[in-house]
Amino acid sequence: MIKELFSLDKWKYAFYTVSHPMDAYYEIRHRGRGSVPVAIVLVILFSLSFSINRMSAGFIVNDVDPLEVNALTELVAVLLLYLLLCVGNWSITCLMEGEGRLKDIAIAIGYALIPMIICFNIGTILSQFVSLEEGAFYWIIIALGVAYGLIMMLMGIMVVHNYTLAKTLVTILLTFIAVFIIIFVVLLFVNLINQVYSFFYSIYQELMYRA
Amino acid sequence: MRRQKRFVRFAASLAAVILAASPCMSAGAKELPYDTYTYDYRENVMLTPAPYVPNGRITGQTAGTTDFREPQDLCVAPDGLVYVADTGNNRIVVLSRDMKETVRVIDSFKRDGADDTFNAPYGVCVSENEQLYVADSNNKRVVVLTPEGEFVKIIDNPQSEVLEDDFDFVPLKVTVDYADRVYVIARNAFEGILVFENTGDFTGYFGTIKVKITLWEKFWRRLASKEERSKQQLYIPTEFTGIDIDSDGFVYASNLDSEGIQGIRRLNPSGEDVIQKGENGNLGGDLWGSTYGTYSGPSEFTDVVYRDKGIYSLLDRKRGRIFTYDKEGNLLYVFGGLGSQEGTFNTPVAIEAVDDQIIVLDAYHNAILRFSATEYGSLINEAVGLRYDGDEKQAIGIWEQVLKLNENNELANSGIGKAYLTAGDNAKAMKYLKLGMNRKYYSIAWQRYRNELLTQSIGTVLTVVVVIAVLLFVISQLRHRKGKGKRKEGLL
Repeated sequence: MIKELFSLDKWKYAFYTVSHPMDAYYEIRHRGRGSVPVAIVLVILFSLSFSINRMSAGFIVNDVDPLEVNALTELVAVLLLYLLLCVGNWSITCLMEGEGRLKDIAIAIGYALIPMIICFNIGTILSQFVSLEEGAFYWIIIALGVAYGLIMMLMGIMVVHNYTLAKTLVTILLTFIAVFIIIFVVLLFVNLINQVYSFFYSIYQELMYRA
Repeated sequence: MRRQKRFVRFAASLAAVILAASPCMSAGAKELPYDTYTYDYRENVMLTPAPYVPNGRITGQTAGTTDFREPQDLCVAPDGLVYVADTGNNRIVVLSRDMKETVRVIDSFKRDGADDTFNAPYGVCVSENEQLYVADSNNKRVVVLTPEGEFVKIIDNPQSEVLEDDFDFVPLKVTVDYADRVYVIARNAFEGILVFENTGDFTGYFGTIKVKITLWEKFWRRLASKEERSKQQLYIPTEFTGIDIDSDGFVYASNLDSEGIQGIRRLNPSGEDVIQKGENGNLGGDLWGSTYGTYSGPSEFTDVVYRDKGIYSLLDRKRGRIFTYDKEGNLLYVFGGLGSQEGTFNTPVAIEAVDDQIIVLDAYHNAILRFSATEYGSLINEAVGLRYDGDEKQAIGIWEQVLKLNENNELANSGIGKAYLTAGDNAKAMKYLKLGMNRKYYSIAWQRYRNELLTQSIGTVLTVVVVIAVLLFVISQLRHRKGKGKRKEGLL
């Protein structure tokens, strides 16, 4: 698995996906050209470039309080969101005759972050040079990256599951609902475990005081 | 052994911290009964050195007369005398400029040969033309006197179509402009401020605050039946609470804003609000407050004083704080608080400025509290005044002194930055403008700095570019030839 990280072929293929999303996602699903470790590394890279952009984009276009940026929490948040999206989408598409495996979904979403990674970093560098009037260029670059990334994500899910566009949009909507349900259940679970724990802890305390 | 070492190190660092902290503690030992702060660009509370400190309190007795009873208003005349509307005692007390003695007490006046008195005089104002206006609330009239107490005229019983038939004219606060137009805040006059000509004729309402109904409220009203609607709360405009006027005849009127966004209006002669809001668009006092309890919610401004050079101060009765803004709507400093200590209020009702002092009337303690400017406060006032006059270059020295006292002061940083920008020192301007969070001017400074850099280095940059281009060309040519050679070899 880890070996795939050092395979030039896999990395080249990730960038091929950016230029030919439809074909590439098909091959990822059916010929195993994609790689999950590469996708995860891309997610981490995305989180890093996002944090770097927030932290050190030029003052003129950046209204974020640098004290509020914490790359580590953002990394954890992004990874968790990635996990939730993958699992959410997988659990919905399983029921809706999607052909994609969890692995394919993870790759589809991870590879779709490449344009965002590139554009965020270009934006961060460019923002060091722009003035207020030229700030529009910065925003265009960021918007392009995000838009292209979202389109790739959409295409990826569509191709991987062999869906029509309408069905993809419906499953994406359902995916968000699934994500909320998962969050709800997890919170509920944590809460319950907490109560059970405090119940046993109070029994323990009671025993210790009496003994 | 290791643990011991660690403990020693811990103890040493602890001692160092205590030693380092102790001089600061003793330096800040002058205890004030309130917090002094302002809000920074990111709307965080930023504690500042005290701009104003308590400087004594004046009661009726210390001024050489009997005690006040629930006084409601203050006014500083152009000649510096302080007029107190001593509402509970039905009199007007005139204090000397330093408020140490009573100049005179006006409790009655001769009108058409007969003695007349006040009944709960609520507001008081002295016009530029040296006439005393008293909002004689329970007599439902505004009495105009000379400063000595001679009767001039009476303004009462406003007649107009815009007034309801059963309108009860109870004047609370009054102010007068240079043309002797009289502006009156009356009880239950939600439509705005009543304006009277110098003849005493009512001309109309002024500065009406528009009621804001959100889409959501409209939606619910649409759903409600007529009966339900009649039981819902009425959407009435907020009331004006205090009033003051600047030398150009613009009326400053404080109002209660339940949203905490705009508690002050600056009304031009036609009654439109022309106040300038700062970067965050907020003129409502505190941005943050506790969410529950007696002291929760937005600030409630009860009075306003226009001071000088576009600076005005607002008195918040909810938390007893005084907010000072400049002409551009920047919050300069906040001080004051509720309490029972010296220098705090119970029921602050009116605010005025005498020279560089701010005086606040407390209706519960029946006292006037006096605050005098510290070095920090007066430096800010001075620098803002210079900026108001357009003299930013001179302000730079004062802003630098402000920075020495509080290096987080964004206005000071921004002011220095702007001065450097006009002086042509773009790199320094950038540094200060960034500290002052002034994006607009930072951008200008950066553009100029960028041009400077470009003109300086255009020669070298171009040379490097040309050299690289030539090199690339040569390399590609060489490769091409080599490739050709190889292919030929391969073919052979």
